[in-house]
Amino acid sequence: MDTQNSLDGIRLENLTVNFDEKFTLCNIDWTIEPSQHWVITGTNGSGKSALAAILAGVGEITSGKIEGVPNNIGLVSFEAQAELIANELKKDDADIMDVISLGTPVHEMIFTDCLEPELATELVEKFGLTSLMDRAFRKLSTGETRKVMLIRALSNKPDLLLLDEPFDGLDADTLAMLQAHLASIIETTPMIMVLNRFDEMPDFITHIAYMDKQGDSAGQLKYTVNRQDDVAYNELYQLLHLKTTDLDVPEMDESEKPPALDPSQPLVKLTDINIKYSDTVIVDKLNWTIEPGKHWQLSGPNGCGKTGILSLITGDHPQCYVNDIFVFGFQRGNGESIWQIKQYIGYVSTSLQWEYRVSTSCRNVIISGFFDSIGMYSRPSDKQKKIADEWLALLGMTDRADQPFNKLSYGDQRLLLIARAMVKHPPLLILDEPCLGLDDMNRQLVLALIEKICAGSETTVLYVNHHAEDKIKGIENYLAMTKNNE
Amino acid sequence: MANYFNTLPLREQLEQLGKCRFMDSSEFADGVEALKGKKMVVIGCGAQGLNQGLNLRDSGLDVSYALREAAIAEKRQSWKNATENGFVVGTYEDLIPTADVVLNLTPDKQHTPVVKAVMPLMKEGACLSYSHGFNIVEEGMQIREDLTVIMVAPKCPGSEVRAEYVRGFGVPTLIAVHEDNDPKGEGLALAKAYAVGTGGHKAGVLMSSFIAEVKSDLMGEQTILCGMLQTGSILCFDKMVEEGIDAGYASKLIQYGWETVTEALKYGGVTNMLDRLSNPAKIKAFDLSEELKVIMRPLYNKHQDDIINGTFSRVMMEDWANDDKNLLGWRAETAETNFEKTPAGDVEISEQEFFDNGILMVAMVKAGVELAFETMTAAGIIAESAYYESLHETPLIANTIARKKLYEMNATISDTAEYGCYLYNHACLPLLGDFMKDIKTDVIGKGLDLEDAGVDNARLIEVNEALRSHPVEAIGGVLRGHMADMKKIV
Repeated sequence: MDTQNSLDGIRLENLTVNFDEKFTLCNIDWTIEPSQHWVITGTNGSGKSALAAILAGVGEITSGKIEGVPNNIGLVSFEAQAELIANELKKDDADIMDVISLGTPVHEMIFTDCLEPELATELVEKFGLTSLMDRAFRKLSTGETRKVMLIRALSNKPDLLLLDEPFDGLDADTLAMLQAHLASIIETTPMIMVLNRFDEMPDFITHIAYMDKQGDSAGQLKYTVNRQDDVAYNELYQLLHLKTTDLDVPEMDESEKPPALDPSQPLVKLTDINIKYSDTVIVDKLNWTIEPGKHWQLSGPNGCGKTGILSLITGDHPQCYVNDIFVFGFQRGNGESIWQIKQYIGYVSTSLQWEYRVSTSCRNVIISGFFDSIGMYSRPSDKQKKIADEWLALLGMTDRADQPFNKLSYGDQRLLLIARAMVKHPPLLILDEPCLGLDDMNRQLVLALIEKICAGSETTVLYVNHHAEDKIKGIENYLAMTKNNE
Repeated sequence: MANYFNTLPLREQLEQLGKCRFMDSSEFADGVEALKGKKMVVIGCGAQGLNQGLNLRDSGLDVSYALREAAIAEKRQSWKNATENGFVVGTYEDLIPTADVVLNLTPDKQHTPVVKAVMPLMKEGACLSYSHGFNIVEEGMQIREDLTVIMVAPKCPGSEVRAEYVRGFGVPTLIAVHEDNDPKGEGLALAKAYAVGTGGHKAGVLMSSFIAEVKSDLMGEQTILCGMLQTGSILCFDKMVEEGIDAGYASKLIQYGWETVTEALKYGGVTNMLDRLSNPAKIKAFDLSEELKVIMRPLYNKHQDDIINGTFSRVMMEDWANDDKNLLGWRAETAETNFEKTPAGDVEISEQEFFDNGILMVAMVKAGVELAFETMTAAGIIAESAYYESLHETPLIANTIARKKLYEMNATISDTAEYGCYLYNHACLPLLGDFMKDIKTDVIGKGLDLEDAGVDNARLIEVNEALRSHPVEAIGGVLRGHMADMKKIV
């Protein structure tokens, strides 16, 4: 067998592959250099296994090209396992022949056509299969068949190992043994693994491929990250964490709860709103009502007054006192303080991030949401600290609780500010261009978090952006503003 | 009008000078209640006027602005400030008669004409509020007997007053009641509610007297705060250039150096500022400051004496009457100094380098803070007041120099501070002439050139002990402790 090929690396160029007409992987660009070991990870249903399977020749290529795939691939996956079992069941011709067939015994499964029988023998012992060698393959448990497949793949001098969730269902000792064995062959055998969990990733993995869904029946290779790149690696970790864990919004601090709102009243009612600077009218006679539970998206070009409208609601705009504004039960300008208004609002914007310059810990940034302050000026209760830590866990940032906020990446800062806004479960969450200035991966992170908030809590979301592509599931009301003079 | 302070018997003068107490946050439990529903009319819409008004309104209080007819008719900046922010604006005649509280937030110089115009219009039993007591104490303004007179003085520029409020905090604030004008005994309640309305209660409030505020404020601003930093900037810059240091570097070292070294002062007092130096540099700075204190002590005494006996305010008011001839002349001179005319160079200076190469600047700050504090307390001003008007405010002025150098620093501070600053500067420059002759780049510009950083143990212990046992450090430790309880928990 010509093994030279595999050393040149594998290239997938703009590759689109159909699987049973039910699922498509689109426009895959991926290069695997000979010395690299990859993990494929991503969201559920994004085609992680399918991507690995392409290399094993599965699927129908509709466009693009794939080259450099070696011939001798060791493949371990649930699909391959299922197929083997199905083949074994077909051999069971009991119905026709009226004899009882046990199917292929395990030793045959392992040693027929085996290129490294010594290794196979050693592995059989290590995996604890010695006593099962005469058993029929199809009579094995799922974990046992998985072990047989692993031994077959490993003892066949593969030029590439494709391991789809190889650690699933293995006990701790076996897992450690397998990991050690894989680590011992990295010099000779390139590996690609599909893993759902980052914490199972062996140390020798050099690169990560991240898959995401595109609609219900397609997947895409979104990011490839070099593991040496700490920043990208961390972002990917958080993204996967947010995309694959259920959002359990930490509870609120009942003792700090503001007076309850009358559910029959709108959260916000703006009537004939005007905003003007000197003689320039920015907003002219705008009417807008936000009812509880109705999420809104507000869009419009720069300078149309989006932020002005928001700051009328939050009480940050001085002209809120000369407009007809009803918010959270207060008709503005009747002796209420802005802190009475702000206690009902969670707010995130780029300018908030600019203003959040105080050197304080990540935990305190989240806690400051209870006080609507930038920085901490009150002693937090133990309860508040606990809630903040739950939010940090939700964001996958537990290890950064005590780090200074201003040392975090821009995207992580934004995530923390969203948590800060959400920590008190505000009746209204205002997200003013929450993705502005973020790279694509961070944008995915932020949108994933917002989507979960929209779906899973009593908070009404007001989402402001001018990127149409950042649409959020669950938002059904749209207000498009235009420039006043256009 | 006669100088009010000078009309008091010594016993009362001392009593008033000695008033200053850091208030407990529990004293503000009533919030803004005492002002709820009352009509507050602000006179003056500059930085303090506008920003205090914005805070008070956001705290749920009823705020409007009274401007002179001309300012309204000509749509001057004050009119624009008030109307664009959605405030009701009217003439004195329109608004003052309806006011429960009149907030006089005009510059000191305008107080007499403003108060004279406003007083007859004020309704029976209303309250007149100041943010600085100069008019009452130095000019001896007599206020109608039925009116309550209070002072609420945020110890920061107006822009900070607003910025800190918006963050959910506030700035340290001094309040006082003019005891001669508290007919209903409600002065303190009103002042406290006002301090809450501006957010000051979150950062710490000092209960003081009009007299203590004026006499300590004047002393601090003209000596250590503005005067020492101005004189130090000019001397240090000229020396560095004379010794061949790049002018751009020298300019930057000074412009940002004051801010950097006084940041250390803010966090941990004079001790911490000197602890940032290496041991040999610390001993050097200490020795220089001791020398400076001996040379400058008579000047600090003179400033304090002139302030206490009213000479300073009399001379300054003569200049007011003379169309600010001295003030404007000195202002123009400042613009012409070499430091002012040399922009900061495009060089990197690390935070530590500002200390290492600015030993003389550290020594000047130490000498100025300690002298101002010692002189004030010797004059009967209580340590709390003296601390706030010397050490506490030095970083604030240093910030303004970092932002815009001396000319703008002088434009930002009050006319009174500016006038005093020039007085000090003119006396101090020649006073330090001989001292500066012996100064070389090892203490300003380049840092000590040492083979090793060894020092004598006994000498180091002596210096550390002297630093730590100064009375400004004792009171500073207590007050910074109070503040830290209320301030940022980082």
